[in-house]
Amino acid sequence: MKPDPDAVLGYLAGMMVQSIAPQVQPAYLAGAIGMSGMLLGMLVEEWDRAADRLARENRAIRTLFRQAERVSLDQDLAQELRALAGGEDDDLRVSALESANTGLRAALIRLQAAIEDQAEATARALNDAIWAELSASTRRRALASDMF
Amino acid sequence: MSELSEDRIAAYAAARLPGARDVVVHSLARISGGASRETYRLRLRYVDADGHPVERPLILRRDPPASLIETERHIEFAAYKAFHGSAVPVPEMLWLEEDSAPLDYPFFVAEELTGFESSPTALLTEAFDPVRKRLGHRKWTILGEISRADPKALGLTEVMEAPAPDACWKRELDYWEGVLDEDEVTPQPIIRAAIRWLRANPPPPAQKISVVHGDYRTGNFLYDAAGEIHGILDWEMAHLGDPLEDLGWGINRVWCWGHNDLRGGLLPREEAIAAWERASGLKADPAALHWWELFNCVKGQGIWVSGAKAWSDGENRDPILIISAWRMFNPQDRAALELMGRL
Repeated sequence: MKPDPDAVLGYLAGMMVQSIAPQVQPAYLAGAIGMSGMLLGMLVEEWDRAADRLARENRAIRTLFRQAERVSLDQDLAQELRALAGGEDDDLRVSALESANTGLRAALIRLQAAIEDQAEATARALNDAIWAELSASTRRRALASDMF
Repeated sequence: MSELSEDRIAAYAAARLPGARDVVVHSLARISGGASRETYRLRLRYVDADGHPVERPLILRRDPPASLIETERHIEFAAYKAFHGSAVPVPEMLWLEEDSAPLDYPFFVAEELTGFESSPTALLTEAFDPVRKRLGHRKWTILGEISRADPKALGLTEVMEAPAPDACWKRELDYWEGVLDEDEVTPQPIIRAAIRWLRANPPPPAQKISVVHGDYRTGNFLYDAAGEIHGILDWEMAHLGDPLEDLGWGINRVWCWGHNDLRGGLLPREEAIAAWERASGLKADPAALHWWELFNCVKGQGIWVSGAKAWSDGENRDPILIISAWRMFNPQDRAALELMGRL
């Protein structure tokens, strides 16, 4: 799409916040328009990176699931993780990546809950790797407006 | 959602003002900021029973069909009434109406405190440089007063359940985990790990059962340019519990409005805690406070996912619900990671 959607959204966001909202009455509607402009501003950041962010995160989680082969797990969970680890993101639409991400993160919760109290070195290393990925995921998801 | 009219409110007010005549409502306008209830500003004019003309600026807060947080309005109303006239500044409450007939949904009416600011971002401007610290001390001193107050003497044990001191943490954690279970719109591995840690490492019993404001943060009080606070607002999550819950919420990293380490955009963490300890006469045991700080990350995420769910389900399309979700999910996760030493 040309002009680039992020440029268009950015322009519309600025117009809504700076030009339209101050002219609108009552104040509640002005606030709603200003907030809508802010939302468009956030979309500008997310538009360009969303697919990349999700694909990276899905790949990182599948790598963790492959590492999980080396730790002691309930048979059903091990089987589920093996199946998920073998998956690929063939469909690169954001909605498809997001859907895969939801399934992967849900399974990641089950994996971490299963291994975090295990004393074996492989389990501890996997737990550390999960925390590292969770921390990295928050850096990928950060918006410029985030307070922390 | 039906629109309010000045005539309907005036008819209601006339019924609540025995002997009053010529009751008129004017300048009715919905205002922003009410994520849990619709908030309206209005002016009420009448001649009282003694023949004196009266004109009052008022706030009307009406329940929406769905909101960021589901709360009981009579508890919010009772909390305001309990503290009115005390060292905790709050607006005067006038009427609580739990019947939907007069204005389609339950509501309450309160005095409007006019001429003050509530925006957290306004505090970041240079104009507030000289008073930011004073304001921070006032903020956590007033919270100390809330924590120090006796809920029974305030009459609040009549409307709020008082948990046993060793049950506060579990009641709150159970509740907010339940909210996440019900409303979660996407898996939350960081917050779920936090919940497991919190359950495995419970805090000591509360040193006393206090009134917990429930959302004590910059943005929920009215202040002036001299650094004074004139009204503590948004008591919709008020309950009885461990006073460290409020302290842990107010110093949560997600309220570092200045993108620095000033908690609530006002004071360093340790200074805020010291101000609260002085005013409350209580101690913020570091391990116990750590538990409540991490708990508040769970609570925060519960609030944000509730709003996201209400919007996604079409129950409430207010853009504040999306702003809250998009802007807060990730910082809340990062705050939890930091507290768990995993950032």
